[in-house]
Amino acid sequence: MRKLLEKKWLDKVWPALLASAAVVSPLSAQDGPSYEDILAGFSNPERWLTYSGDYSGKRHSPLQQITPENVSGLRPVWTFQTGTTTRGRGFETTPLADDGVLYVTGSNNNAWAIDAHTGRTFWRYRRNLPNDLTYGASAPVNRGFGMLGDRLFMVTLDAHLLAFDRRNGDILWDVELADYRVGYAATLAPLVLDGKVIVGISGGEYRTRGFIDAYDPVSGEHLWRFNTIPGPGEPGSETWPDDPEVLAAGGGGTWMNGSFDPELNFIYWGVGNPNPDYYGDARPGDNLYSNSLVALDADTGELRWHYQFTPHDLNDWDSNHMPVLAEVNWQGQPRQVVMVGNRNGFFYVLDRVTGELLLGTPFTATSWARELDADGRPIVLNDGSQGCVPDPWGSTNFMPPTFVPGQDLFILTARETCATYVPEQPADAPGQSNFGGTVLIDAEQGSGALRALDIHTGDLVWEFSYPSPTFGGVLSTASGLVFAGDHEGNFMAFDAKDGRNLWHYQTGSRIWGAAAMTFMLDQRQLVLIPSGTTLTAFALPD
Amino acid sequence: MNRDRPSEALIRNLTLPQRPHVLLALAILVFAGTSLSYAQSVNPLEGDVRAIRGGAGLFRAQCATCHGADAKGISSIEAPDLTQIWSRRSLSAAAVFEIIRLGIPGSIMPPHSLTDTENWMLVAYLQSVAEAGVIGLPAGDPATGRQAFVENCSTCHRAHGLGESLGPNLSIVTSQRSLESLIASVRDPDALVGRGYKLVHLRASEGEEITGLIKSEDAFSMQLQDDTGRLRSVNKADLQTIERLSGSLMPAFARNQLGDQRLFDIFNFLQNGAQQ
Repeated sequence: MRKLLEKKWLDKVWPALLASAAVVSPLSAQDGPSYEDILAGFSNPERWLTYSGDYSGKRHSPLQQITPENVSGLRPVWTFQTGTTTRGRGFETTPLADDGVLYVTGSNNNAWAIDAHTGRTFWRYRRNLPNDLTYGASAPVNRGFGMLGDRLFMVTLDAHLLAFDRRNGDILWDVELADYRVGYAATLAPLVLDGKVIVGISGGEYRTRGFIDAYDPVSGEHLWRFNTIPGPGEPGSETWPDDPEVLAAGGGGTWMNGSFDPELNFIYWGVGNPNPDYYGDARPGDNLYSNSLVALDADTGELRWHYQFTPHDLNDWDSNHMPVLAEVNWQGQPRQVVMVGNRNGFFYVLDRVTGELLLGTPFTATSWARELDADGRPIVLNDGSQGCVPDPWGSTNFMPPTFVPGQDLFILTARETCATYVPEQPADAPGQSNFGGTVLIDAEQGSGALRALDIHTGDLVWEFSYPSPTFGGVLSTASGLVFAGDHEGNFMAFDAKDGRNLWHYQTGSRIWGAAAMTFMLDQRQLVLIPSGTTLTAFALPD
Repeated sequence: MNRDRPSEALIRNLTLPQRPHVLLALAILVFAGTSLSYAQSVNPLEGDVRAIRGGAGLFRAQCATCHGADAKGISSIEAPDLTQIWSRRSLSAAAVFEIIRLGIPGSIMPPHSLTDTENWMLVAYLQSVAEAGVIGLPAGDPATGRQAFVENCSTCHRAHGLGESLGPNLSIVTSQRSLESLIASVRDPDALVGRGYKLVHLRASEGEEITGLIKSEDAFSMQLQDDTGRLRSVNKADLQTIERLSGSLMPAFARNQLGDQRLFDIFNFLQNGAQQ
């Protein structure tokens, strides 16, 4: 009986399929999002096509179904269990959403296509990783897919970039970014532009040299590379010792993806710590472009400008944050700005056309520095060797912040910690991690907070306190809500006006490195948060 | 007592210009003649001063970020105190070797691709910093100590099947802590209050007052063990006041209440109780 039915169904459908294939290109109905679709950002409410939802990095959704008035009724719709663990780090991904399907990456290079209605899987992928991973063994995380057309892009812990067929998870091409055995790994969500997949690299605790790479989405062909540590004689090399070996192992990872200004055709990307992390005696100088924000020409990878947040870093305060782009009224003038809440404890506003510093002011109680000099350099009061500066995880980290237009609020997770740094000359070798010393963290002194800053002054507008230093990211919506996660496992909603907590849900594991995303499905707004080994979707009752 | 406050001497020692790679290379040369394999159950380098020194260098480079410069762990990131692994979990050297080599699946502890010699050097270092517990316990009568334990301690503490569970279980405490620190905890318990035993006094909106130990806390709630031993959930929004107390729930026992000899009797009971 069952067979008969199937056959009948086939008889009806098969001729129609054949006919349509003859007329149009076979996959036209499911070609997937184009570059123009990603560029349009949130204009299609049923999609979330790139890490931050759009190229600006604001993580501010226009959706308004869930409001401060009704958010208390938010409840879980389904929970997806990854079945994988992350060695104490987080489930750091931002799912992409298109046509009712979620594309999700997880730890140890697992990945899934998930039915957004039910949380059930369409397909699962797991990479067969080598057993001698370097950086990737200590942080086996991934922050998400990039997407273009019928392809997905994911980087791997053995420092490859893969292109997937989004319908079945098949690998279409696989290119090596760098040799993982030296210390390289890759964890970020690729940034997909018109005809380019842009990725960066992890491993600044090893004898590595950071870079930002562009690849052709169709062929996987390498298009350009920007090295974050200059070669001998190149601009910036004067900020390093005159020693090719030091430069070749200078670190400067690029492990968090960047934002993109399509009009300027600039990408904005953060650069991580110089190697070794805590021991600076072998690398006197500012060590460009470590701990900097770089603006690159998206077509060529050429440097347009840079700003270094932490010259000659001794505290592992990578500057790998999502740069947030906005158009604001700055002292009476319309201005295109880029904003960064930095691991060194300062909040920065820069003109994103020129790189001019407009504001730099501390957002935690850090005693490392309290102000910048006329040239925009921090006036360092305590490099950490005298106790109580923020720990190596920093005053914030890569967990995404959000920007609320109109209110001009920059909302981020702040960490208050106390650590003493004890540098030591490392015995470093390829494939061997070495921080160059030890950090003594005072476990009794630590707290966290969700902080909303006025971008014009850096002043604290409101905050919500957490009992421990927290690693959750932030999402805002046009209805006036802010969603955040904390180290105790709460997923929470706040009123963007005053920071009042309106709702919370205990997910059962700390929310670590991830921020929420939201999209519409069948006229219903879903909000998703990864936590521990679960991904949970929330919505208002039907 | 200085768990989270490493001594200045330690910091000085760490900042001394050392050349651990030279040490390491030397150590490896020295041991290269011996065939060291993980199949061994006894650490062939246990107690060897050069191996311990080399292991200390490896420890600072590979382990200290999570386990702390003094190997005493960082509780806020759930990295265990490695000076206590030998007594608390009675691990063999070979088991520790395997944990270093393979990591602990499902935890942050990663595998390490060290040579077997380097791995044994690390194990030798960990053996050298093992918390020795009470050394040279003054003589005492375990039977008298048992009675004194029942009278003075068992309302809150449990040991060898006796007592309650408001304070830490003391059954193996003499192998975990030094005599000096045990005496200090009895004479001046407020000086060091461990995680899970921080004291709080709450006044609920309906006027109820609760004194308890904070077992867990988030932005919205506290999980307490109150002073009757009951496990309780408290919603912070329902509270009028939250008063965090710096001291311990444990009263101080002065010498005139509990003399030194009686205290040593108790320690002898704790140390020998299991055999009775």
